[in-house]
Amino acid sequence: MDFPSSLRPTLFMTGPLGLSNVPDMSFMCSWRDTLTLPESLPKNSENGAPHLSTVLLWEPETPGPLPLLPPGPDPWDPGVTAQDLLFRGGFPFRRKPQAVLDVTEQVSNPTVGSAVWRGLCTVTRPPFPQLSRFLWDHGDIAFAPLGKLMLENFKLEGARSRSKKKTVVSVKRLLQDLGGHQPWGCPWAFLSFRQRRFSILGGPVLGKSVASLLGELLYEELATRWEQLLLDDAFTGGALAWVPGRTAQVGQLVYPVGGALDKLCFQEVSLTPGGDPQALGDPGHIQLRGPVRQVVTRTVQGESLLAVRSDYHCALWKPSPAWGAGCLQPFRSRLSVDPPGWVMPLSCENPPPLETAPQNHSPCSLRNVSWAPPRPSPHPCWPVSPRLQQVYKDPETLVFCDPSPWRWADFTAHPRVLTVGDRTGVKMIDAQGPPGCGLLLFRGGAEASCQKGERVLLTQYLGECSPESLHPTLHLICTQFSLYLVDERLPLVPMLKWNHDLPSAPLWAQLLPPPRPGCPQPLLLGGQGGHLQLLHLTGEGASAPRLAGPPQSLPSSSDSLSAFPLLEPKSQWRLQERLKAPTIGLAATIPSSASEPVLSLFQLSVAGDVFYQRLHLPADPGPNSCASTASWTPQATACCSRWLKALLKVPPAPPVWAAPTFSHRRLLGRMEQREVEPKGPEALRAAMAEGRLLRRRDLGSLPSAEPPPTPEPGPEDELSTRLEAAWEGQLATWWERQQGRSSGPGRQPKRRKRRTQLSSTFSSLSGRLDLSDATSPPHSPDRASPEARPRPPVTPPSQESTQELWARDVPSERQQTLRDYMARLPLQGDTPQGVSLPLSQTSSIRATPSRPQTLPDGTAELPPRRNTLRGATVSSSQTSSIRATPSRQQAPVLSGSQPHRKKPRMGF
Amino acid sequence: MSDFSEELIRSKTEDDKEESCVFSGTGMSFPWLQKHIGTVETGGKKEKDFAQTTSACLGFIQEALLKHQWQQAADYMHSYFQILEDSDSHKRQAAPEIIWKLGSEILFYHPKSSVETFNTFADRMKNIGVMNYLKISLQHALYLLHHGMLEDANRNLSHAETWRYGEKSSSQEVLINLIQAYKGLLQYYTWSKKKMELSTLDEDDYAYNTASQNMFDHSWKTSVNLRALIQTPGVWDPFVKSYVEMLEFYGDQDGAREVLTNYAYDEKFPSNPNAHIYLYNFLKREKAPREKLISVLKILYQIVPSHKLMLEFHRLLRKSEKEDHHKLGLEVLFGVLDFAGCTKNITAWKYLAKYLRQTLMGNHLAWVQEEWKTRKNWWPSFHFSSFWAKSDWKEDKALACEKALVAGILLGKGCRYFRFISKQDDQVLRKKIKQIKKSVKKHSVVNPGL
Repeated sequence: MDFPSSLRPTLFMTGPLGLSNVPDMSFMCSWRDTLTLPESLPKNSENGAPHLSTVLLWEPETPGPLPLLPPGPDPWDPGVTAQDLLFRGGFPFRRKPQAVLDVTEQVSNPTVGSAVWRGLCTVTRPPFPQLSRFLWDHGDIAFAPLGKLMLENFKLEGARSRSKKKTVVSVKRLLQDLGGHQPWGCPWAFLSFRQRRFSILGGPVLGKSVASLLGELLYEELATRWEQLLLDDAFTGGALAWVPGRTAQVGQLVYPVGGALDKLCFQEVSLTPGGDPQALGDPGHIQLRGPVRQVVTRTVQGESLLAVRSDYHCALWKPSPAWGAGCLQPFRSRLSVDPPGWVMPLSCENPPPLETAPQNHSPCSLRNVSWAPPRPSPHPCWPVSPRLQQVYKDPETLVFCDPSPWRWADFTAHPRVLTVGDRTGVKMIDAQGPPGCGLLLFRGGAEASCQKGERVLLTQYLGECSPESLHPTLHLICTQFSLYLVDERLPLVPMLKWNHDLPSAPLWAQLLPPPRPGCPQPLLLGGQGGHLQLLHLTGEGASAPRLAGPPQSLPSSSDSLSAFPLLEPKSQWRLQERLKAPTIGLAATIPSSASEPVLSLFQLSVAGDVFYQRLHLPADPGPNSCASTASWTPQATACCSRWLKALLKVPPAPPVWAAPTFSHRRLLGRMEQREVEPKGPEALRAAMAEGRLLRRRDLGSLPSAEPPPTPEPGPEDELSTRLEAAWEGQLATWWERQQGRSSGPGRQPKRRKRRTQLSSTFSSLSGRLDLSDATSPPHSPDRASPEARPRPPVTPPSQESTQELWARDVPSERQQTLRDYMARLPLQGDTPQGVSLPLSQTSSIRATPSRPQTLPDGTAELPPRRNTLRGATVSSSQTSSIRATPSRQQAPVLSGSQPHRKKPRMGF
Repeated sequence: MSDFSEELIRSKTEDDKEESCVFSGTGMSFPWLQKHIGTVETGGKKEKDFAQTTSACLGFIQEALLKHQWQQAADYMHSYFQILEDSDSHKRQAAPEIIWKLGSEILFYHPKSSVETFNTFADRMKNIGVMNYLKISLQHALYLLHHGMLEDANRNLSHAETWRYGEKSSSQEVLINLIQAYKGLLQYYTWSKKKMELSTLDEDDYAYNTASQNMFDHSWKTSVNLRALIQTPGVWDPFVKSYVEMLEFYGDQDGAREVLTNYAYDEKFPSNPNAHIYLYNFLKREKAPREKLISVLKILYQIVPSHKLMLEFHRLLRKSEKEDHHKLGLEVLFGVLDFAGCTKNITAWKYLAKYLRQTLMGNHLAWVQEEWKTRKNWWPSFHFSSFWAKSDWKEDKALACEKALVAGILLGKGCRYFRFISKQDDQVLRKKIKQIKKSVKKHSVVNPGL
């Protein structure tokens, strides 16, 4: 195998995460990766221009993914969301958002909230305000178990007990004694001795044990839910897989369905070159005994293999075409539950009953690991093992101490060597070597310039995909922030680092074969929130792997909302929630037969929906083909409407939360009511209890509402004066007057200073962009000696005033620099006509409509895309808010609407 | 005065920085959580309009970049400059880096952008905030280098080299070293160009002397520039390569050897296979004794047993007189073929077939058995399955023959791979297959008696 003959220069430092003293040499620019050092000089001088034609852009055919299958019959509810748990308090908490139990209750004790925020579930102090609220609202839940325990000691109704047992108390008496008073209401309320006795005896039991038990449990639950919301790693690797069929056009999607995700479906799908993918017939399915967390397929020696991971079980099949139809027997394979830190290979213990299983349905060998993906080995050399075999055991994490029990494993280019990963790093171990050996492949630390808090979320061996393109020794390692490519022959030093900036956890990655021979390989990266990124990797033979061109984002299912008809708010909300459901699986395929490569992408959401999108790679991407012109076709909207109709037929999920029930009130209701209670609320309550409509008389004599005060048109009404001024065409003067009036005396100069500085910064930048070369070299090689610089041939009369304008508020130390800029800035009025511009300049100037006469060929061409592009994705309100920025005076780019511009600009 | 207050503010907001990146109890940070927090609206003050528009603008730029809408990104970028006057000093100080990152990316890909545009932008950005001068200069120089503008790049690097700010921190020092090294690399390019010119000149010519003098000056400067960096731990392949080439040219063999040995064997450096390869190639050029070459490749073998130099290593070992070298030679061949990327390496199979026969003829059955012991449970399905027999025969008949011979020797006549190949009827290869059958019969390690 070739090793890159010359690697990219990298600094190597050992140390912990977030070592601030290390300059991050990767800089995170995608373009930096396209830079190659000119290896030999003559070659370099030949093609000095950047090779931009390799920029690949997959064009989506629709603005968002479309549903492939009708929605499942099970209702779905998003459950607890981050918003339910997060709380933003008053000023002191503005910077410290907190997870608290109840949003309606303002937390009075910040330490509790922040403790939960930091995930410390060991805090035993219950959050009293929330808990008392909970006990009050959900007393039946909180006290029912205790109540049941003490049932024999209470008599709920009936006449006075004539029982001989002294231990039975009549509840009716107790409640009568309370007399409708709430115990926490009036401190002087009368307490009977019965009540007193009950309070003294019951208090410790009911108060403390319930509160502390409940508090602990609630805390535990809250912490678990919170962790899960932050990162749900159960579906790492993805629960959707594509099994290629006999022809390129047909294949099977394998995915779990059902509320518990315990039914594995095999849906045959046909990919027609011109049209959308279509599901063929009903899916076949297997009922499993646990939730499916991951589904992986791989073709090994011409055979497709399918592996499934459940929470504690793994299984591996050879799928056959017969799976598409008919029911299959449940297939059991077992993996004993191992303590975290154990990595074990797996084999199937109980093969399926032979009489029901097709011939080629027998389980074959699988090496795999608990707490890890059941990925079929790319190397078909593992013998069928009748029992589990321990490969690796380490209760500790690899690099530094991290409490996460997550472990992961994958294969390497050497069939006997496996990678074992946890949140802190990845290690290579020889499965047949002595225990305890191994070599760290990736270290969460300064070696890879990791940030503070950075953790490994996914590791994947990339070598099995296609031997012809990338080195078969590469491993992908994803963290929350970055993506690393590590070569197992050079451990610890990433060959490539890219800051993916995905707004959710990247848990899925798939390396696809090159769409065309010689093309870079697409790497699909999927985030939990449905975010997709497509990167292009290249680097075969003696060159190091690198990004070919800038990465690209793909539409996510929430982009499809516009394809659905508008609904009434409740259904619309339901649809939105459904489309926003977290993704749990991703599968992509590029059928090779099509003349233009088409990438079919399938996404499985936790709600059980399979969405697809098609992207094609234009044969010759022109320099201006960056506009996404996809729009909804009638077929697409019809498809969405059909799906929506089916979705709305599914009964909505029963509410997770129901209004509290006050069971004791029913008892109280029979008692005498207080006389003094006003009639209005009473009638209201009665109406509510009966569930009938409120009528006017129920409300009684409510205080008559005052009419709202009429707006006073006075001197303070800015809007009308502004409109008046605008009508008279004197908006500018109004604005100046307004400026003068509303600005505070102390604050205004500072802001003005900043803005002017910015504007001048920018105008000097944009001015130079176009006109610099006429009189001066592109760089200012010697900034320290401004006198030595050539001045423009004619000093423009307007220049002095311009300088005045910009120089007014610029700090003195920067004025000189700026003045140097300005000095060499030939303004429009005095640029010598007919000056011969360098060739590289003409293209930029051509785009500026204000000066067509200076061009040699005189063509003035307006870029047509600007407005349409903006309109495509940004609503007009956003546009206006963004355009209304201080730099606006110099801002309009190439728009041509303001012909009097002095400094046309390029770039930005 | 204003600088001082800025410093004060900075030190104060340093603590806040931690909160903006959200951690859980495990110490893991979740960048996506800020988004959730933004959606919670109970109580508290909302973000200021300024911050809202700025972050929205940043989002639009990133979105446009990821959709390759360069013009749109440029338009938004224009509005994003307002962040430079953010009242939050922490944000304001982080802004230039973000602007540089996004702006340079836009200008790199924008169809209407030119080198001049990029230059102007880079020059401007270097002076906004002091902390980024070196980084931006370096990237700017790389950009120019990529565009073939070596002189401009050199000028840029020279500027950056002399730049100092405050006390020299270690990160600054590394960056300056790196800048100097890149400058050295540029000088190396010039030097190698001159060297090529020189090779066309006559030695007696007057021009030759001036040219060689010129070259010498260059090399001296270059060595100064390169030396500092390559002593810092890291991967410095292009620098080391060019430095060694210059040293060698001027006959400083000891210096070159020292640099390479240090690069390969210093424990502070990562185990870079290229370091060993460079050293090996140097020693080979130097005509070092075989022992020495073997000792270098032995280490490479331990790091990368799949490297293509391993076949050369095998040849060296085969030629060696020592018995344990011969044994290692067999081990190396087996080691190469262990890797998934090397399964179709016909040379390796050819060597293995030949060397197996040779070893067995030399009565070293134990060596073969030792190697085979750890592989016999997975090589048959890894290399010698009937799938591979069919596909190898279809794709590369020569490879199939070599593999069949190895399979026959290691697994016996009954092996599926061998059986499949030996049954093939091919006009051209008939004789060869016959030979294979013969050698298998003679050498097979599988005892037919058992």
